[in-house]
Amino acid sequence: MALKRTPIPASLWRRIGQVVSFALFLFLFIKTDYSGSDELTWAVNLLFRIDPFLALSAMLAGKMLVALMLPAVITVVLTLVFGRFFCGWICPLGSLIDLSRHILRPVRNNLDPGKRQAKYLLLIFLLAASFFGLPLAGYVDPFSMLVRGLTFSLQPALDHAATSFFTLTYRHGPEWLNLLTEPVYALLKEYVLPFASKVYALSVFSLVLLLAVLGLVRLESRFFCRKICPLGALLALFSRFSLLRLHGGSTACGKCRHCHTVCRMAAIDDQRAIATAECILCLDCLAQCPQGRIYYGWRKGGAAEQPTDLSRRAVLASLSAGVLAPLVLPTRPLARHADPLLIRPPGALAEDEFLGRCVRCGECMKVCIGNALHSTWLEAGIEGIFSPKLVSRIGYCEYNCTLCGQVCPTGAISKLTREEKHAAVIGRAYFDKNRCLPYSDGIPCIVCEEHCPTPDKAIKFRQAEVLNSRGEKVSLLQPYVIAELCIGCGICENRCPLPGAAAVLVTAEGESRHAGRMQGAGY
Amino acid sequence: MDRRQFLRDVFLWSAGISLAIPRFNILPEALAAEKPQALLGLATGEDYAALVARVLTPLGGMASFVRPGDMVVVKPNIGWDRNPDQAANTHPLVVRALVVQALEAGAAKVKVFDRTCNEQRRCYASSGIESAIRELDDDRAVIEHIDPRKFIPVNISRGKSLSEWEIYKDVLECDCYINVPVAKHHGLSGLTLGLKNSMGVIGGNRGSLHHNLGQNLADLATVIRPKLTVVDATRILLRSGPQGGNVKDVKRLDTLIASPDPVAADAYATTLFALQPDAIDSTVAAYNLGLGEMDLAAIRVVSA
Repeated sequence: MALKRTPIPASLWRRIGQVVSFALFLFLFIKTDYSGSDELTWAVNLLFRIDPFLALSAMLAGKMLVALMLPAVITVVLTLVFGRFFCGWICPLGSLIDLSRHILRPVRNNLDPGKRQAKYLLLIFLLAASFFGLPLAGYVDPFSMLVRGLTFSLQPALDHAATSFFTLTYRHGPEWLNLLTEPVYALLKEYVLPFASKVYALSVFSLVLLLAVLGLVRLESRFFCRKICPLGALLALFSRFSLLRLHGGSTACGKCRHCHTVCRMAAIDDQRAIATAECILCLDCLAQCPQGRIYYGWRKGGAAEQPTDLSRRAVLASLSAGVLAPLVLPTRPLARHADPLLIRPPGALAEDEFLGRCVRCGECMKVCIGNALHSTWLEAGIEGIFSPKLVSRIGYCEYNCTLCGQVCPTGAISKLTREEKHAAVIGRAYFDKNRCLPYSDGIPCIVCEEHCPTPDKAIKFRQAEVLNSRGEKVSLLQPYVIAELCIGCGICENRCPLPGAAAVLVTAEGESRHAGRMQGAGY
Repeated sequence: MDRRQFLRDVFLWSAGISLAIPRFNILPEALAAEKPQALLGLATGEDYAALVARVLTPLGGMASFVRPGDMVVVKPNIGWDRNPDQAANTHPLVVRALVVQALEAGAAKVKVFDRTCNEQRRCYASSGIESAIRELDDDRAVIEHIDPRKFIPVNISRGKSLSEWEIYKDVLECDCYINVPVAKHHGLSGLTLGLKNSMGVIGGNRGSLHHNLGQNLADLATVIRPKLTVVDATRILLRSGPQGGNVKDVKRLDTLIASPDPVAADAYATTLFALQPDAIDSTVAAYNLGLGEMDLAAIRVVSA
């Protein structure tokens, strides 16, 4: 007695693939955190390292082969075989976009198959600009946008909400309620929320960008993927040549153009021809074709491919824009003086190389154990937004921690051993003696000296007799910095007990990544 | 219920809740408890588990501090992301032995924690204390991270410099609080010992206490009252305290000091650094508040 088997529809397989990929992505995202040992086992950098767009951009900017990014070749090879499945099955942002389509129903159902050239032009511009010194790829990369939104804003917001709620129940709820709520909170803390509450610069901005991308489905389904995403554009260029692809209906279909209507990518024209470059293999058409005519199979010779609609003029224009735009950069004062408060993480490459390779994925800031790394705004120029910088007053660089270099997918922050980390100078501290209590008010303090982590302390103190604010002579300890010992970790600034600005401050002076380099013509 | 009524109710309820933030008052009777006995156990040896048992013998063993069913807090110094050899944190074997002793005395639960200075998870891991407690594999022995919700404002009625501070709930509510500092150098206070170790159970901006550290620590000691202080001098940090980092600054003494009198424990521990008790401001301030004995001649030291 044979059981009757109902085959699982093809589009359901795709949906399962999306769910599994997204779950894997979330797992890696949560795992991008200190795990109890100095070495990290899992991190979301895996996702970035298979991103050929970021790989290409980082390599063009660095003008070298970035070994860390070589796994991106796998994506390219798979795309050459299977087509643009990555966008339809793997991309976590794509999955979220599909999900938002169910919530925000697109106002237009008849998609305009044209105007999809924009993503190619953007891709060309970004890659050219990367090569000539204006690295902007991370701004629009789908993974970067997603991880930034989650890291800077969604996860911390969830944490603040949960903590407020469970603080309320803990402080004011009856005993029986706590028996229910406390285990839930413990589970959340263990598996979902960050270990400690965190804040991030540009958190709202990152969220707005992410929501905007998701909100674009209100206009047309997969708007971002079809018209903007440079990674999608790059994969589309490869998938034109894919060995396997969908084959569509023909004139034999009569009046039926259902495939043309259901395609979320507008990849099927009204002649039922499928544009392989645009097809993300969501398989809706295959599943829904009333005649079952659409199938996935080997490429056939002679089948006409839909044109990309790229005019030579437009390509040349974006190429030249990418080449010419970087020329204006040396005209900024930034070319002579870097912002002294721009303190890069330990192991960061020299500034130009660093920005070229940094893909703005935000992972270093996610993993930063002290919540010390934050998004730069315009301090490093128009090309520096979302790159990491140390904000000591919010958090300090933990002396023995080397996590940021471990998660950086491109090596913009090198992976350091503990010894190398101890020797990496990211800045130097100085005292504001007008505010520092033992100098300004004759009040004992030296909390900074206590926290200074170098075994031979960079902050030392001397006994001094001073007049306090009441005019009495007091004997106390006054701190000072020994520049050669200071590595700029910022714990002194972080722990300075003064309200508001600290009395001991760190600047990027003396950073070892620029050691021996003449700093411009300005000084 | 109309909207107006609803808003009024919400307002009243939330006002009620915000007014109900608990505040802890320690009854004057409890504070005026008689001065602890200035009796001090002193022991030297290389087997730290046995050493803990030995140093408690002159005090009547752990049973004179922990009664069956007690909720016990063992508070080591886990302040820094340093390993045991660097002598910035209490030795994990000493902490573990104390936990075991408390369990053997019948404790229902023994909690180990510290509000660290470096990142908490790193401190717990590097100090070796987390794994030492976990290895006991006993549900009654728990090492947990500080839960910020548990800091409760406490009136410090006897304080000369402080009138109120946030203190960790578990310390206030436990039956037996055992303070286990590591003896080490400290730039500002000279040494950090038992009284200074109490900073690991308080909330707030701890750095600001440094502006009058000695008196502030003594004021805190009026409300944070360990039944037992065990000073870990198995190895002591002589320079670059309180976090050190260079093993050349560490001296091995294989010594433990134990006393029910927190001031006496600190006073005697000071002598290990070739200093007199009055060199440490907090010891003097606590003595002046009548919290214990600092006169070495008045402390009965029993070597075990």
